[in-house]
Amino acid sequence: MGLFNTPTFSVQASLMISDLVIGMAGAGGDGIVSAGESLIAAAAREGYYAILTKSFGSQIRGGESSCRLRLSAEPILSAGGTLQVAVALNWEDFLKFGGELPVGSETVVIYEEATGVAPGQIPLDRPRPALAVPAPIARMAQETAGTLKAKNTVVLGLLSGWFGLAGESIRSGMRRKFAGKGAEVQAGNDRAFQAGLDYAAQHPLGSGSRRLPPPAHRKPKLLTDGNDMCGAAAIFAGCEFFGGYPITPSSEIMQFLNREIWKHGGVLLQAEDEIAGLGAVVGASFAGKKAMTATSGPGLSLKGEMLGLATIAELPLVCVDVQRGGPSTGLPTKSEQSDLWAAAFSAHGDVVRPVLAPITVADVFPVTVEAFNIAEQFQTPVIVLSDQELAQRKETIDPIDTARLQRIERRRPAAADLDPYVRYRITPDGISPISYPGMPGGNHLASGIEHNENGAPSANGAVHARMNEKRIRKLAPLGDRDDLFTREGPPDAPIGVIGWGSTAGPLIEAARNLQREGLAVQALAPRLLYPVAEKVYRRFFASLRVCLVVEQSHLAQLYRLIRMFVDLPCPCHSLARSGANPFSPEEIAGQIRSLAGLDPAAVPSTPAPTR
Amino acid sequence: MTASTPVPAGSQPFTTKDYRSNLKPIWCAGCGDFGVATALYRALAAVGRPPHEIALVSGIGCSSRIPGYTNCYGFNSIHGRALPIAQGIKLANPDLLVLVAGGDGDGFSIGGNHVAHAIRRNVDLTYICMDNQIYGLTKGQLSPTSPRGLKTVSSSYGSFEEPVNPLLYCLAYGAGFVAQGAPADMDGLTALIEAGIRYPGFAFINVQSPCVTYGEEKFQLKAQKLRLEKLEALGHDPADFMKATERARAYGEKLYTGIYYRCPSPAATFESMARERRQELQSRAASRSSILDLFQTA
Repeated sequence: MGLFNTPTFSVQASLMISDLVIGMAGAGGDGIVSAGESLIAAAAREGYYAILTKSFGSQIRGGESSCRLRLSAEPILSAGGTLQVAVALNWEDFLKFGGELPVGSETVVIYEEATGVAPGQIPLDRPRPALAVPAPIARMAQETAGTLKAKNTVVLGLLSGWFGLAGESIRSGMRRKFAGKGAEVQAGNDRAFQAGLDYAAQHPLGSGSRRLPPPAHRKPKLLTDGNDMCGAAAIFAGCEFFGGYPITPSSEIMQFLNREIWKHGGVLLQAEDEIAGLGAVVGASFAGKKAMTATSGPGLSLKGEMLGLATIAELPLVCVDVQRGGPSTGLPTKSEQSDLWAAAFSAHGDVVRPVLAPITVADVFPVTVEAFNIAEQFQTPVIVLSDQELAQRKETIDPIDTARLQRIERRRPAAADLDPYVRYRITPDGISPISYPGMPGGNHLASGIEHNENGAPSANGAVHARMNEKRIRKLAPLGDRDDLFTREGPPDAPIGVIGWGSTAGPLIEAARNLQREGLAVQALAPRLLYPVAEKVYRRFFASLRVCLVVEQSHLAQLYRLIRMFVDLPCPCHSLARSGANPFSPEEIAGQIRSLAGLDPAAVPSTPAPTR
Repeated sequence: MTASTPVPAGSQPFTTKDYRSNLKPIWCAGCGDFGVATALYRALAAVGRPPHEIALVSGIGCSSRIPGYTNCYGFNSIHGRALPIAQGIKLANPDLLVLVAGGDGDGFSIGGNHVAHAIRRNVDLTYICMDNQIYGLTKGQLSPTSPRGLKTVSSSYGSFEEPVNPLLYCLAYGAGFVAQGAPADMDGLTALIEAGIRYPGFAFINVQSPCVTYGEEKFQLKAQKLRLEKLEALGHDPADFMKATERARAYGEKLYTGIYYRCPSPAATFESMARERRQELQSRAASRSSILDLFQTA
């Protein structure tokens, strides 16, 4: 079908490493994340590829905050690994982020002079960075804008000056941002930015100098995060009802739709709890509308029974789970990939519930649209497993050719189907035409109790077996959907790597980097996680001598899910760890390198996951 | 046409038969729910909406089987969740007449949270609670409206708990229409359901629907006929909220039937406000296909 081979995430074999990774940290009021937002907005206007991730302490307001911005002239799939540029407004907050802001031997560290630390004494020495540059950030802010609030603007000036970053775009973006705050604030902000630029010009970095090449096309890009992208996809798909309950890190999906859905004739209900949110979605779907809910792990747990109802009543709906660290409240603001089993299996009875996962922010769009398509076509709930990393990071995105995306509607009864209407008629493909209240002649009973083809309740074992078979058989076509997988690298490569969700980006980048080093590696990124597309995996495994499954889950949920359904012809290893810190391409590449050094014959055939 | 503007009285194109399905109820002989079903068919015929424009939603329990016994669009869902599902239906298509029915356990125990919120949203639903003070389908355990001290298979030595008062709860939650009926007075019950449907907003009707198998003797239909006192005969003014509250407090002691409270100036419904918001905002919308323009940076 080729649906997922659109330019938004196509394979670019000749990716250059021409990127700049900047990490910044400060106290809550320092506006460090706001500086990152200004930078990525400027990058989008200039036509750069960029990814911005943000990280906060768990305080409601204040506390430490940080961001990481990767900029490139070429398409990128991850927020990168080791920083090329680190900005510390104070050391205590910077150090709190540890592995999220890794400093290496090639990093240029820019820090607040007022911390009083000499360049040779900075608390980063494993390894020692290439260059440590103190700058009087607070003083410049105070002198030019009369307020320490302008520290982030000074930082923008410094970065723009030292690294050749889109000065005019940053300046014009900030002018727009401060437009409502009065001429004085705007002028002060302008002066603070200029002070940063001037300071950079007067203090060249010498050996620490880094320059980003201009983008190939200076065409502005779209800029958004995974949650807003998900809401936009729902609108595109024709969603007319959203029911949900606030929960981190998914709430922005509801907030986006609250702004937009009314304009398209829809309704949004912020329900009293997670169960009612999905209940209203089930009702809206019964009433004939495309409907969606969004939640995170705790909400998914609460929605289990209602999802089962949608399965047996054969009602289409989309349930987005933006994963965070679990179990229970877990790590509400951090990413993890540990809801896979809950998404696939948290149902009593024999249930097959499709589970999809996007791999980039851009990918959230076609994957969410496809979730609606699968839901509507097969009359089933579909779960979209996003994660905090994709949901809340910002990406610049090439225009998406939406004309290439299908929008599927549920099968309505034709006149002949209404004479008489048999709601759950067992058809050759298992899909029964579905009516809606208001349609004359389509009156029927939908129910969570087992029912016969007419919809009448039945406790007969033969009826139950037939209806189970129908409900599961109708999903069989999903097993052939190799368009829901990205496979790249030489198809006969003996080393294979598999990763999903936000891990797929760094995984594919790792594979590309290794290919450039001469190692024959191929990567597989499934967007369809459940049902397990056995044929697709078998084809992938066919040429492999060794395989590695990479994921952010202590229990290696994808690794074990694949093994549950697919007999592995080669040693298959697992790189699995708990969440919070995303994988970097370097980390994955290191693991593949060491795997390539192994004699596959010497590896046990059913190894335990790496812990 | 909306639910609150039904066919005018006297021009009904449908009879009770049009609303009755051919499924045979699983209810025990003598169950109060038969009376509720009959009163419902009659009320629907009086209102006159065609069966395909009506959705009847229930949860789980003996009484929750009722959607299958009608010819309307029915939804026999899961325990306690009829109200959220019904709200989804009504908000998705406000032109439908949407009814909710279920037992006291469904509405005031496992689904208790949803009643308050359905009422404060004022979605135009008619909610019929078939209150029998017992869990019948699971064979005779305590229910939230069981009287204190009741001995059941789950309270062998008598319950410690005060019963929920559904009437007082719904009045306190702010329902614009609160009534109680009993199958011992079929005409009265029919009239209440019809009045609930015609009320333009959330309407709550508690029906004392005795359980013939596990219920107490004093609550059966025969006894009901003797205990029943019509509010109308007492000169009750349905516009008097304080009096309604006072009489609702007698739940469990007295069996008043009729309309406890009908708000003289019904509040706007959620769906009518949603309609206004859509009308206001729809002109500002680009097409669904250009939604990604929102993310442009140029």
